[in-house]
Amino acid sequence: LSGLAALWFVSLGIAGVALFIMLGLLLARLILGWSGRARAQEKKRLIPMLLGSAPHGMLRGRIHGDLLATVLVELIQLVRGSDRERFVEAATRLGVPERLRHHLSSGSARVRLSASEALAEFPDDESVERLQASLRDRSSDVRLSAALALASFGKTPPTRELVDRLGIGTRENSLLTVGLFRDIAAQRPQEIRALILDNSVPAGAKAAAIEALSASADYSLVPLIASLALSSESDDPALPRYVRALGAFGHPAGEKAVKRGLSSPSWEVRAAAAEAAGRIGLVTLGVHLRELLADPEWWVRFRAGEALARMGADGARLLREAAQHAPEPGRTAAVLTMAERGIK
Amino acid sequence: VTGWSDWALWSAEWIALLVIFTGLLQTAFYVVQLGFAGVALGRKPPIARASLLWRRYADEAPSIAVLAPAFNEEITIVESVTSLLALHYPDFEVIVINDGSKDATLETVVRHFGLSKVDRFHDYRVKHNPIRGLYASPRLPRLLVVDKENGGKSDALNAGINVARATLFCSIDADSLLEPDALLRAVRPFVEEPRRTVAAGGTIRIANGSRIEAGQVLDIKMPRNFLALVQIVEYLRAFLMARLALSAMQALTVISGAFGIFQRQAVLEVGGYTHGTVGEDMELVIKLHRLFRERKQEYRIDFIPEPVCWTEVPDSLLILGRQRARWQRGALETFFRHKKMLFNPRYGRIGFLGMGHVLVVDVVGPLVEVLGYILVPLLWGLGLLAWDYFLAFLAITFTFGIFVSVATLILEEAELRRFPNARDLAILTAVAVAENFGYRQLANFWRLRGWWQFLRKQQGWGTMTRKGFAKT
Repeated sequence: LSGLAALWFVSLGIAGVALFIMLGLLLARLILGWSGRARAQEKKRLIPMLLGSAPHGMLRGRIHGDLLATVLVELIQLVRGSDRERFVEAATRLGVPERLRHHLSSGSARVRLSASEALAEFPDDESVERLQASLRDRSSDVRLSAALALASFGKTPPTRELVDRLGIGTRENSLLTVGLFRDIAAQRPQEIRALILDNSVPAGAKAAAIEALSASADYSLVPLIASLALSSESDDPALPRYVRALGAFGHPAGEKAVKRGLSSPSWEVRAAAAEAAGRIGLVTLGVHLRELLADPEWWVRFRAGEALARMGADGARLLREAAQHAPEPGRTAAVLTMAERGIK
Repeated sequence: VTGWSDWALWSAEWIALLVIFTGLLQTAFYVVQLGFAGVALGRKPPIARASLLWRRYADEAPSIAVLAPAFNEEITIVESVTSLLALHYPDFEVIVINDGSKDATLETVVRHFGLSKVDRFHDYRVKHNPIRGLYASPRLPRLLVVDKENGGKSDALNAGINVARATLFCSIDADSLLEPDALLRAVRPFVEEPRRTVAAGGTIRIANGSRIEAGQVLDIKMPRNFLALVQIVEYLRAFLMARLALSAMQALTVISGAFGIFQRQAVLEVGGYTHGTVGEDMELVIKLHRLFRERKQEYRIDFIPEPVCWTEVPDSLLILGRQRARWQRGALETFFRHKKMLFNPRYGRIGFLGMGHVLVVDVVGPLVEVLGYILVPLLWGLGLLAWDYFLAFLAITFTFGIFVSVATLILEEAELRRFPNARDLAILTAVAVAENFGYRQLANFWRLRGWWQFLRKQQGWGTMTRKGFAKT
């Protein structure tokens, strides 16, 4: 048999095997299709039973456990208040958290992820313990999801430890870490604050911590963030986030850092600083902002115009001046900002 | 095999070997892709419910501008815009770009949504034909209509990019139907890797035969038209196998023009969409790869296997042939424009795997395969080739093709199970076999026509026939 003829027989063989497997899947689909329809029927029957007052003993054993868990978790996530509590209680009695904890040991990351997300609804000790173990899961998605679940009921380990375990700011850069820190800060703000002070914390984690705290109205943080912004290099990717956070606090103690940001060689920092100047209402930086209306980068021009428009009469006067006397592109920026904001 | 000179026999064997080798190389690429796609599907996170996605992303999801170019869409524009405004996403705006329509597209949308002319300070960084006016209403803060002089899809998208104020933009086709949670699903790579992700594509599914109402696919059904059925198998190969695998290798060369999310700043830095090409979607992705590779900057271009968008595919040979020739021309234009990336170590895996894939599958593939259709049977018939060569040719032309198509269906059924019933799956299996006998050869002739158009430097899209979504 020559190599070329072998190619033909190999191709016939693998095409045949593929068709055979497909045939098997088709048969499986026929059977599963039947059981899938039965399951859909069961689900239809189950929901009114759960919404009503069927004795739970009737449900246990008669309904497939995974289906029961899925439906109950869906219901828990859909409703609030006393209804939610009732479903959580029912699910706990029917062994749903136990089943979900068992799923956390599954070989499939997908199953473990679903289970860790669902366990966020069950703050019992065993689930907390199991979720804490999941912070060492081999999948980064599962680790983050377990951390979010634990944070939702205030049971995360010390935040510094969590930063290392999840690799926040190094391996883990998800935007969800901001939400994670926000949840932790709701109960232990001092731990998130400590991250900002700790020099060993990666810049990405620090920036996430600052963003999480920027809605907290803890103005004692402003000088701290301002000093971080002042000590950062202009190309530090965290710097625009620091400056933006100063704007979110809206406190004038950030002025020095914002002013420095307006002259940064990085356009992202200039844009963030212009936005922050507007949000804080730093009228003293108005002239600087007027100059930025002619910045080569559109985002900076836009943020400068927006900031001046926020500054009331002083800002409007500076915009009018730019609309009349500034060279392009500053003039267009001023004219269109005024038109858009209805400034005469 | 007698009566022929050694030279003739030698030439015939070499021609056959070239055809067989190229076919085997393509098959090898596909088999590797199947492996990567299988692993990627196994690792992908579970498909979350939209409500869960909303809860997860509501506070952190970056803003997105949906750019919808419209040219002579008077009949469908209101329905399309209504459907876009109903998308589930925390922070988005819809920018409709009327690309100098000759019908009443602009008037229709302005009248229906009660818009009026507004001023808006916007960027001018990427080139496009002049904007004639912007239209908005305080009642619909998410909607902005841009009226501009005609310049084609790339030009319209460039205008949209300039006008957008979101961090990300989502480009769609005028006839794309988006799943309500498409943005929530497709934004995942940007949430998980915000610093590195510059673009993400999602799976496009075929809506022919399905029940569509108010811009939503309500009931998924199989089309009855054979060409539409074949394209379902083709789309599965393209999205579920090739794009998912190339994304797992970080060597994705194309994000479909029907749906793609891009980091606006990165696209501005490459000058936006390129004018004068019919493959503007592929061109943009290659430009992004090139920019970040040349800067030696870490980046990701991802693909998510979840379906995000529906489209209606051509169901006549004439229109399908035109579309395929155009796609081929687009791939060739991009390939030759960026040929220095091919096998260039500076461009890493995109130079070797991404551009290598384009070379084997799009550039050389159709030429050699059509050459094989003509010459191998002829040479065998003339007695210049032994039977073994002919068998090997049949293997690479038919049986390996059947294997790849059926294996993709297996992947779909084992991992996603998106086709509603066993009957549909059986039909698609039959189509996956049948397409190799006639359709595949026809498709290669269309691609050869694309080659010819490319060589003649033919420009433009040809006559586009918009049928609109059938309401079944």
